[in-house]
Amino acid sequence: MIDWNAMTDAEFRKKIRQFFEAEYPEELRHLPHRPKFAEIEQWHTKLHTKGWVAPAWPTECGGMGLNAAKLLIFYEEQQRWGVNRGRDMGVQMVGPLIIKFGTQKQKDYWLPRILSCEDIWCQGYSEPGAGSDLANLRTRADVDGDHFVINGQKIWTTMAHDATHIFMLVRTDPDAPKKQQGISFLLAPMDQPGVEVRTITTLSGETEFCEVFFDNARTPQENLVGELNKGWTMAKALLSFERIFIGSPSLAQNALGQLESFARGRGAFDDPVFRDRFAQAALDVEDHAALYARFADQLKRGETLGADVSMLKIWVTECFQRITELMIEAAGPDGGTIGPLQVGNVNVDALASFYKARPTTIYGGSNEIQRNILSKAVLGLPG
Amino acid sequence: MLSSDQEDLRLLRESARTLFERAGGSGRSRRLRDADGGWDADMIRELAEAGVFGVTVPEENGGLGMGLAAGGVIAEEVGRVIAPEPVVVTVGLSLGLLRRLCPDHAKMEQLTSGEISLAVAWQERGPGGAPADATCRYADGKLTGGKAWVIGAAGSHGFLVVAKGDNGPVLVLAEATADGLAIDKRAQADGSSMGELSFSGTPAEQMAEGPTVQDALAEAISDATALAAAELVGLSDRAFEITLDYIKTREQFDKPIGSFQVIQHRAVDLHVMREVAQAGVREVLTQMDCETDPKIRARLASRAKARAVTAAKKITRDAIQLHGAVGYTDEFDIGLYLNRALVLSAWLGDDAYHRRIWFDAREEEGAA
Repeated sequence: MIDWNAMTDAEFRKKIRQFFEAEYPEELRHLPHRPKFAEIEQWHTKLHTKGWVAPAWPTECGGMGLNAAKLLIFYEEQQRWGVNRGRDMGVQMVGPLIIKFGTQKQKDYWLPRILSCEDIWCQGYSEPGAGSDLANLRTRADVDGDHFVINGQKIWTTMAHDATHIFMLVRTDPDAPKKQQGISFLLAPMDQPGVEVRTITTLSGETEFCEVFFDNARTPQENLVGELNKGWTMAKALLSFERIFIGSPSLAQNALGQLESFARGRGAFDDPVFRDRFAQAALDVEDHAALYARFADQLKRGETLGADVSMLKIWVTECFQRITELMIEAAGPDGGTIGPLQVGNVNVDALASFYKARPTTIYGGSNEIQRNILSKAVLGLPG
Repeated sequence: MLSSDQEDLRLLRESARTLFERAGGSGRSRRLRDADGGWDADMIRELAEAGVFGVTVPEENGGLGMGLAAGGVIAEEVGRVIAPEPVVVTVGLSLGLLRRLCPDHAKMEQLTSGEISLAVAWQERGPGGAPADATCRYADGKLTGGKAWVIGAAGSHGFLVVAKGDNGPVLVLAEATADGLAIDKRAQADGSSMGELSFSGTPAEQMAEGPTVQDALAEAISDATALAAAELVGLSDRAFEITLDYIKTREQFDKPIGSFQVIQHRAVDLHVMREVAQAGVREVLTQMDCETDPKIRARLASRAKARAVTAAKKITRDAIQLHGAVGYTDEFDIGLYLNRALVLSAWLGDDAYHRRIWFDAREEEGAA
């Protein structure tokens, strides 16, 4: 077993970079859509053989056991090379929860299947009436013998049509005094009569999001993770690392690089107004990276991140949007054209980038919710 | 040069903050503004004793030898209390020039000890305004011509003037009381004044000559630009704190106005702006300490000033709005921050100017 954490950051970064650059298929770099598992299966197998599927998991669970500093480097390299995250809901969300709150039996059964992608997971959190106000969720799970019976509807379930299992927050005590109480964390198989999946076509024409309907669907009681009615606190406990990850500079940096070569090819820099707006965007990205580094240093010193990390997400997603808006602008009359636009030897899909940037201010806690969090938890404003 | 250790910077920040707070914080700055817009001699002496003016001067020349990151820490503290004393002018410009051109000159010691202050006169009105286009002449020990936008002119003991000599550019020193020197003081929004100088055969001492003058000037301007950015960061920081306190206590409709979501979100936006500016500017100062290429240092300084001005403008202007009508009165301190931000933003180039410079520098580096 390699002790990655004992390496210097530079050594570690080099190892990761070399592997990605040598082994990751060129045609899968910077994929503009989320792939179905079949599309990236070979790459997943390579990672699995190497033991690199779950960088954050402890080694005894089959992970790499990386500390926060190394983990950040791993993700930085992954994003830098445009390596697709794959179908990582299992690794990112379910695994850590089972590791932290699951029984030994649950660990022994589920974790290897997550690593091998024998089970492919989707996340059943949001509902039509529970978006930003997630605790308002109404999908019920009622005990029936040794099973839970599930009724209700989940929405924005990413890639549910290509998943074998769903992990979900469900209401198990409708009479709890606060709506955050009475919610449990449940695992359920998708392949059963009571589960129906419909894809949702997005503005970009993709069908990555789904609606999932539960009509007396069943899952064994042993698929409850952690204590009954304690799901809310458990799910929240997982978000700390996610919050810096979602605010990382890479999306905006990549888009800026694309914008620059595109704008140059299109002669957009001849326009002083465009130059200034480009400079603004580029400086927004550079200074965001400086702020990101401050939080990353905190992690590297072993400190936990506070609620103030939310500001990274606000800044970088809004910046990402402005950059892709500039791409559309630089495209001129081609600004509404679907598909890659060729400029010299560069292909830029301005419209795809534009669409990709839109939901970033909505998902992962909308930027308005992030502002609420900062306002109360960081600025100490009342109400 | 290596950037100073983080712990040293923390201690430096603490002592600078204590020094300014003990002297009366922004209240002292208001009193000075109301008096005559001048400086506080005791404060200058105290700052000098703390080593502030010599922070970037090498130890062998009587300074702290700490680098620009440390200078930025002090500039931030100056900004927080909007102190009128010429800290950035001295650290960045006058000592920035002298330590590069004539580190053994007696004026060095007088400047670091706070005994004197020297303003730097390098710009001229008219097309370009760049040092290479200087029309101000120095010949036979005498200056003829004019200089514009001289910050700190009112309280200075003399002027370091960049002029055209017989053998190229020269740096000369004219005493404030010299014959044939007229100073037209233009009142600034923050109570300070900017000088327009005209020389008619004004006697001046030559300090340096040749292309090194241009080089040192460019470097000193980069330093001063980045330090002014740090001063704006400190100013923005404090202006935001004042505003945050205000919206927490001011009640309307029987609630603190800070409980309204529209106010909260505006406050968060200002907070994020402040944090990005602080992180960006501090990173720049640290990088400038490790960078020797003057062009890259200039590009970095532009990045810092562009960011700091953008943030300071937004924060101080929104701060007035969040204060409501009282924000428009002279009685409330927040206006002092708005006014200081106006002056500091205009000095050495605002955000639009520095984005242009930054972009051009980046293009030039890319082409090279």
